[in-house]
Amino acid sequence: MTIHLTIILFVPLLTGLVGAFLPRDGARWTVLIGTLIVLAYVVAMLIDFDPSGGLQYVTDDEWISELGIHYSLGVDGLNLFMIALTAIAWVPCTFVAAFTEIERPRLFFFNLGLAETAVLGAFMAQDLALFIVFFDLMLVPFYFLIGGWGTGDRVRATTKFVIYTLSGSLLMMAAAIALGVLATPDGGSISFALADLRERSIPLGSQEWIVLLFALAFFVKAPLFPLHGWVPDTYRSTSIPVLALLSGVLSKVGVYGFLRIVLPIMPGGAQHWQELFIILAVFSILYGSVLAFSQDNIRLVLAYSSIAQLGFIVLGIFAFADNGAQGAVLQMLNHGLVVVPLFLIVGVIAVRARGSESLAELGGMAFRAPVLAALFLVVSLATLAMPGSGNFIGEILILFGTFEDKLVYGLVASVGVALAAVYMIRLYQGTMHGRVGAAVESREIDRVNLAAIVPLVAIVIALGLYPQFVVHRTERDTTNAIQRSAAVAGGGAQEVSEAR
Amino acid sequence: MSATSYGWLVLAFPLAGMLIISLGWRVLPGRLPGWIATSAIFLAFLSSIGALLDLLDHSEEERQLVDTAWTYASTGDFKIGLEILVDPLSVFMCLVVSGVSFLIHLYSVAYMGGDRGYARYFAYLNFFVFSMLLLVLAGNFVILIVGWAFVGAASYLLISYWYRRTTAVAAGIKAFVINVIGDIGLVIAAFLILDRVGSLEFLPVFQQAGDHFSTNDGTLVAACLLILVGAFAKSAQLPLHTWLPDAMEGPTPVSALIHAATMVTAGVYLIARTHPLFELAPTAADVGAIIGCATLLFAGTVALVVTDLKRVIAYSTISQIGYMIMGVSFAAYGAGLFHLMTHAFFKALLFMGAGSIIGAMAGIQDMDRMGGFRRAMPFTFATFTIGALALAGFPLFSGFFSKDEIIAFGIHRGGGYAVLAVLGYVGALLTAFYSFRMVFRVFFGDAVPEAVELEQGHIAHGEPMNPMTGEAEDTDVGFPGPEHHIAERSWPMKAAMGPLALLAIVGGYVAIPGVDSVIQNFLEPVFADSHLAHDEPSTGSEWIGLVVGGVISILGIGLAWLVYRRRPGTTARLVERFPWAHRFLGHKWYFDELYDAVFVRPVTTFGGFGRRVIETDFVQGTIVGGATGIVRVSTSFARAIQTGYLRAYALLLVLGVAGLTFYFLVNSS
Amino acid sequence: METTWYLVLSAFIFAIGVSGVISRRNPLVVLLCLELMLNAGNLALVAFSRMHGGEAGQVFALIVMVIAACEVVIGLGIIVAMYRNRLPIDIDEMSELRG
Repeated sequence: MTIHLTIILFVPLLTGLVGAFLPRDGARWTVLIGTLIVLAYVVAMLIDFDPSGGLQYVTDDEWISELGIHYSLGVDGLNLFMIALTAIAWVPCTFVAAFTEIERPRLFFFNLGLAETAVLGAFMAQDLALFIVFFDLMLVPFYFLIGGWGTGDRVRATTKFVIYTLSGSLLMMAAAIALGVLATPDGGSISFALADLRERSIPLGSQEWIVLLFALAFFVKAPLFPLHGWVPDTYRSTSIPVLALLSGVLSKVGVYGFLRIVLPIMPGGAQHWQELFIILAVFSILYGSVLAFSQDNIRLVLAYSSIAQLGFIVLGIFAFADNGAQGAVLQMLNHGLVVVPLFLIVGVIAVRARGSESLAELGGMAFRAPVLAALFLVVSLATLAMPGSGNFIGEILILFGTFEDKLVYGLVASVGVALAAVYMIRLYQGTMHGRVGAAVESREIDRVNLAAIVPLVAIVIALGLYPQFVVHRTERDTTNAIQRSAAVAGGGAQEVSEAR
Repeated sequence: MSATSYGWLVLAFPLAGMLIISLGWRVLPGRLPGWIATSAIFLAFLSSIGALLDLLDHSEEERQLVDTAWTYASTGDFKIGLEILVDPLSVFMCLVVSGVSFLIHLYSVAYMGGDRGYARYFAYLNFFVFSMLLLVLAGNFVILIVGWAFVGAASYLLISYWYRRTTAVAAGIKAFVINVIGDIGLVIAAFLILDRVGSLEFLPVFQQAGDHFSTNDGTLVAACLLILVGAFAKSAQLPLHTWLPDAMEGPTPVSALIHAATMVTAGVYLIARTHPLFELAPTAADVGAIIGCATLLFAGTVALVVTDLKRVIAYSTISQIGYMIMGVSFAAYGAGLFHLMTHAFFKALLFMGAGSIIGAMAGIQDMDRMGGFRRAMPFTFATFTIGALALAGFPLFSGFFSKDEIIAFGIHRGGGYAVLAVLGYVGALLTAFYSFRMVFRVFFGDAVPEAVELEQGHIAHGEPMNPMTGEAEDTDVGFPGPEHHIAERSWPMKAAMGPLALLAIVGGYVAIPGVDSVIQNFLEPVFADSHLAHDEPSTGSEWIGLVVGGVISILGIGLAWLVYRRRPGTTARLVERFPWAHRFLGHKWYFDELYDAVFVRPVTTFGGFGRRVIETDFVQGTIVGGATGIVRVSTSFARAIQTGYLRAYALLLVLGVAGLTFYFLVNSS
Repeated sequence: METTWYLVLSAFIFAIGVSGVISRRNPLVVLLCLELMLNAGNLALVAFSRMHGGEAGQVFALIVMVIAACEVVIGLGIIVAMYRNRLPIDIDEMSELRG
């Protein structure tokens, strides 16, 4: 079977465009159908994908030949499940949005479609320039989605979000151009194709600052302490379906960039900063967990928990161990899959509490809404990585990978696992259990949200039963992605020991 | 069918029961969910018997069967299958767990009859049994951890079962978090083992442990200590015991099942299961023995002063598990597991009796309010007394044989172990005393109004309220139901307590020193590789131990009789005389206060500090402020040029053109 | 005849146009001055075309005239719209685009 990535990539944008010219309510359904088509196609791809890995379904055309930029797409173990996550996550979010009363629906859904195309493009791109194009393109729809349909002090939030992430990605763009130029051998022609860049050698000194600039952009997007300044405002004022996508999918693009670009192309530079990034990751885990524990707004609890979870992922990547990276890839998928239903549930809760999202005013929601409580429970337990969930396998692999060389950091990070239990159970109890809150009207979950959340919960449970489905397909490419960095790190250690 | 097929069936029935009840809760009428759950557990019990019979057909060397359903996760040397290990130890545990669970399910059918969350209760209960069986059947460390965490989650759900009760909710989060600490201990231990041995499957690890570790190897001791952290968290041993007394917020059958008979003994099972590692790391085993001994004494002292009936039994559980942990750490595996079994019988029985009394008291649990129930509740009185006798180790009751066997083994090993074992006798005295403190205070003395009312044929009805805080409640979902049930009036409760009472009496006869040793012989294949377990004390010395234990037990009961029946008021005088001791014990040695000061406060304080200082000043001020500051300065410059005056733009344009022209003129000449 | 004189004339007209655009506040006069500048340009284009003997310059002059006509239409349209809305006919009052 041939899978045309270009079709997957542009279907959402196309349906968004079509919807923009249809009468008032047409856009909702066309974009929803678009996301469903993407999902169906991606499922076919999952089935067809050769589990042993390697780059598949490659599309490669020259785009700007003078600059060596290609329109080059491909799927391997690294991005297979990121694409799947995007395709899966967009359906329920679009679905919920389609049934919500929205002003200017055509513009909203056009932006939603454009956003999916941009994210898919960033995940599929096999050319550095193309990656950056899509990486920055993602900002455009989200700028409008947050600014145009958010709540509260949304203008301030949008401005902060855009300026903050844009400055990160501008630095990255400069770094990418420098990378392309510096990597070009004498007499050779410039190329931004990732496959070419992997073959070329870049001077170690340049690698170091280029990696740092990439890391800035990726850490802002992730987000990691201390670059998470945009998070609280943005999370507070973004509408729920958009926030679910922002937190569940967009945050993965940055960390994915490490595995796709930084580690394979600039192993020396990555190794140079390894210690610093691990410390940042570990600190993010602890800091995010403690702050999640002390927040009152349920969105912010999840916001800071995301910081902690992304800390785990970065930790796994920079452990430079097979297990760690494997766990990071798995955890990227798992985190996305639990965060989307979590935010949808937050939306459901807020509706039942007259818009209140403060833990102090919530409570006892399970009273008349057992189904809502059960769904929330499953997702909460998966989020805190309870053994038996896919998240647990992800986290245990990350920890095992970290223990191998960086035992102390691993031990500190394990404290984060306990803290995760504290803040997730606190969130669950604060909303569902206890006395029925003053503002709360306990009412069962509505059918639209039910239809959106149940399939996601089913996927979470299925992954808990059979995580090997993911591990098997990602194993080879993940190992390849970190191989060079691990070799440099191992070699460096050897040199040190020889010098002694 | 092979033993492993039976093993899968053991898991399948409770899981199926849970799925049926949780998906069909809207349509299942009346008490049907309860009966579905009960029969699911009964089928699991039958399957356990099937596994037992099949296992007995194999020769002793071939009684360790492994079966893998599918590859769970496998990358590099991390290879995990969904794997069960059926051997005498796991079958023994399956039989105890499913057997006792079945009786408690039966009891619950009636006891929870009036509760509005009936179906949810049984779904949780079945999920718990499934998880517990998964824990004991697990064939590798990861599946063990999965079962380990599942029982923790089930325990959490059932503690917070009355979820609108604030105290139940607080108790739930405490139990969950301490359990997670135990999980983390196990995960790190699993890594240390994987790193050195290269496998996480039980059988290869245990067989090859000797090749990879020398005796008392640092890594192995660390791994074993971490396993102990897991065991202590689950089995409520010092210093991770604080959750168990609070766990009594759950319904009484839950306390009987999870917090007495099955889950809390998982730590004992774990040490017995990983005994090859502990025998290679005697230092860790000694730590286990010392902590077990310390716990049994600590919990025994607290049980002397607590007045909440269920919490007395809870502290008694902590204390009894201390014996078991001490036993398996002595390498007295057979004796430790034997005590696990008898304890499951009599402790479940005691909780069921307590549930019946609490039903008669309309939800009140405070012993200060009870008294004189002997005539009103003859059946409960009889069974509760049998349980108390077994707990006290009264001669010829089940606890008599099992507890004293542990102590005899310890004395036989000599040295420091003998000291610990003798301290075990001190604990036995405490046990006998507090057991009959309960009996005398609840059933004897003047009949309280509730007891009088019951004698006249009515069950007391109080206003629904939280027995701990006195908050007013209603009887809808999330709070206890309107009806109360006692054993005298409900045949399922009777049918559950009768067999347990019988077992509490005769359960000890399977291992009478010098007569028979069914349990030890059956478990022999599991512990065949042990070099410590086979050095057993002689029959004669065991009998001496039994006689001493019996005397101590009678002494303790007599003391309780003296204090509570012969000279009532002794306790009040003691409290007056030693107020500091009473305060110290009443506050449970101040563990809760200590943890609050050491862990909870600092974290919340740092959280507040982070929110106020780090977030606002550093992240928002410096980092975000810095980035936006640059942008703001450059944009304000750009804005200054945009005056909005057309003529100014025109002038700028002209000046620009003139400037360019001038530049080119100068350059071209 | 020398091309220089045409160019000098064109420069003068252009300068008058510029000074008008910069100094006058009535949009009508500003438009007139813009026309002056355009026509100065036209004059120069035609003169150069004549000097070099090609037609390109004349073609450009024609295009400029078309554009000038369009521009006047739009400009006058705006002014009429302003008048109808009773806004002051003064370009300094129209500074809403201030940054």
